[in-house]
Formats: sequence, C-alpha cells, structure tokens
Amino acid sequence: MAASYPYGQGYPGSAGQSPGAPQEGYPGSQYGGGPTPGAPYGGPAPGGPYGPPSSGGPYGHPASGPPGNMYGGGPAPGGPYGQPSTNPYGAPQPRPYEAGGPGGAVPPGVDPEAFSWFQSVDCDHSGYISIKELRQALVNSNWSAFNDETCLMMMNMFDKTKSGRIDLYGFSALWRFIQQWRNLFQQYDRDQSGSINCNELHQALSQMGYNLSPQFSQLLLSRYSQKATNPGIQLDRFIQICTLLQSMTEAFREKDTSMTGSARINYEDFLTMSATRML
Amino acid sequence: TGGASGSVSARRRHSNVSVSLLRVDKDRSGVISDSELQQALSNGTWTPFNPATVRSILSMFDRENKGGVNFNEFTGVWKYISDWQNVFRTYDRDNSGMIDKHELKQALTGFGFRLSDQFYDLLIQKFDRQRRGQVAFDDFIQCCVVLQKWTDVFRRYDTDQDGWIQVSYEQYLSMVFSVV
Repeated sequence: MAASYPYGQGYPGSAGQSPGAPQEGYPGSQYGGGPTPGAPYGGPAPGGPYGPPSSGGPYGHPASGPPGNMYGGGPAPGGPYGQPSTNPYGAPQPRPYEAGGPGGAVPPGVDPEAFSWFQSVDCDHSGYISIKELRQALVNSNWSAFNDETCLMMMNMFDKTKSGRIDLYGFSALWRFIQQWRNLFQQYDRDQSGSINCNELHQALSQMGYNLSPQFSQLLLSRYSQKATNPGIQLDRFIQICTLLQSMTEAFREKDTSMTGSARINYEDFLTMSATRML
Repeated sequence: TGGASGSVSARRRHSNVSVSLLRVDKDRSGVISDSELQQALSNGTWTPFNPATVRSILSMFDRENKGGVNFNEFTGVWKYISDWQNVFRTYDRDNSGMIDKHELKQALTGFGFRLSDQFYDLLIQKFDRQRRGQVAFDDFIQCCVVLQKWTDVFRRYDTDQDGWIQVSYEQYLSMVFSVV
C-alpha cells in the first residue's frame, strides 16, 4: 500500500478488518447514488434555513417548524431553548435549581407542566436529571423505553455545562423539545398506528423541506426500525433521525459552498464532520 | 486494566466459553443480550461498560438480528474482545489502564491511519467518557470501530483512492446514516 494512502489499513492481525470481526459488507450500493431527477435538493422547498424565505433554498427547511435547530444556522423556529437569546434557557437569571417541595414556586422561564414533570422524573430529588432518570421517564406510544442513543443525544444537547446531568432549566427546554416532536410525530403518523412507516416518513421529510428520495427513507427505516416484518419507527427514533438529519445537512451545506447540491470532501474533513456532529 | 472480567476472564480459552456463556446468560434464554454482555464486561474504571460499544460488538456478531448472540456467535464475541484487550495493552505503554492522546496516535498510526494532531484532540474529546483526557478500554474499542466504519464508507466512494470524494447531498446523507 502506498505510503500516501490516507486510510487506515485495519487492525493488526487481520487484513483490513477489526480483530476477528465477521466479514460484513455495508449495503452500500442499494442506496443508489445515481443522479436523482431534477435539482439536487429539489426545487420549490418552502424557504430554507440557509437563505431568505421564498428563495427556495436547496436544502429546504421544515415547513411545519422543527422543534429546534440546535446547530445554529438560520432562523428555524424554536431552537431547543425556545428563543435565540443570549440566555440559553430563556430565563432571566439561570441559577442552580433549588429543590423545593412539590408545589414549590415555579421559577421564572419554566413551564409549570415541565416543572411538575421534573419533580417526578428527578427520582432521587437531587435537583438534576441523570441519564438514568431520563431513560426511565421517557416512553414511546407502544410503551417501549426511549433508546439509549436518543437519550444520550438529547442529554448532550441540553446539558449545557457538560456535567452529565440536566438542571430544571435544561429539562424545561428538553420537555418543550420533546413535546414539539411528539406533536409532529402524531401529525405525520397519518394512520394513527403509533409508529411511522416508510411512506409516512418520506412524506414527513418532504414536508419538512428535505428533498430526498423514497429510497433514502427506506434506508433510514431499515437502519432504525426494530422489526423487519413490520417496519416502523417510534417517537425516539423519529427525534433521533430528524435531529441528525438537520445536523448533517448543516455539515454538508458548509462544504457545498457554491450551493450546487454536490460537495468535494476530503477524508479527514469527512471524519471531522462525522465526529463533530454525530458523537 | 479493562477487558473481560469476572465470569469472562480473558485468560480462559474456548473450552471454558460454554461455562462463561452460562454465567453471562443470566436469564438462561440461550441468547446473550446487550445488558447481559455489558454486565459481564469491565472497562477498568468501575463504571458501566460503554453501551454503545456493547451494541456495536453484538451487532457485528448477531447474524439474525435477534438482539443478542447465541453460543456460536458468543465465541466470536469472546475472541474479539480478547483481541482488543491485547491491542489495548500493547498501546497502553505506561500501563495506566487508559490510552492517552499520544498512545492513541501510536495505536491508530499502527493500524495505518494518517490523521492530524487536531483530529486526535477531537477523538479524545469525543470518546473520553471518563472525562480524564484519555480513553478507557471500552471507549478505545468504540473509537477504533467507529473510525473504521467511517473510513470504510468513505473508501467506497473514493473510487480513485486519492483521499477526496465528490458526493451529492443525498449520497452524503446515505453515507452518514449507513454507519450510525
């Protein structure tokens, strides 16, 4: 192998594979890669976070307003903390939550309903929600617990101090974030089955302004749905997919400087984009 | 140091795998689930083994997508983790039980990766669950596995192998979502 070759060669002791890992191909070719008809991101997307509304930004943006474009970017309605103020929690003076008894005063900037939820979720009454408490508290419509990845992702989004736990203000924002996604989920679950199937996912993404092929929705579904027999995604996966999609769209847009829908990316940039936004 | 511990001692070999399997398979279902495997593994820090690492490993060996591994597959999981343990010990030169940035760079360079210093900072930052500025055994595996997956998918698109790809928006998203 030429020394200039930029990639890893795999691991010691096995040619190009991780130690003892079973040969496992990626189902890459099935994702197509062929040119999609029409403009790369589709035409008349209703505005876009990357351009003035009505100009039809090539990446589109969620028409119905995704709850939170936490990765910056344009004026997407409702970031995870509500308002794009300098104060991340929208409260006048974010200070450590002082645990009061049930029925204690709701601090300013905190939704009363979120406040009462916080008190029941905070099982150990520490004044903070741990990842464990969060996981125990969140359920999908089929009563399955939220998956670990989504809990961790949301924890990272709302744990502004990187302490591994969220305070009342962070929780209040998280609560709003989940409510908003839940509303969207119910709206896109047209047959009210409690899960979103392939068609519904494709429609949801289209309505959010993403111009992606039905095959892409299929890819998402095959990656995230639990049962192969009756593929569908629950709220937790829906939140995870949409948040990642927003984030990776933003990453791509940064590389697509000429806004042609195509970008030239080098190996380490690709790794950096992925590591920065997906972990 | 980290690795398989307790009922799954790395020193035992395949003849004892069935004994270990019985111990790890707490609910006697014949299938090792991620929580069962997680409990059997130690990262050397007294904190729970990285659930993402457990899932990555199980998904590599779980052929029928049954949410765990059976006996035959478990022997593979076992060997896989032992191999990683050896790799980890090799590169943990100061025997601290953790891999620091310098050691990580040596390890990944040894695997053939050519990455900038800046990128190693990012890797440490992202995989350091213990917040010690270095990575434990479980996070080290996860780091290497994730990096390898991203590299594989990049390589598939880099047909002329010059380290650059030209991809459309949907191609890019497909790349990314095929490895999450």
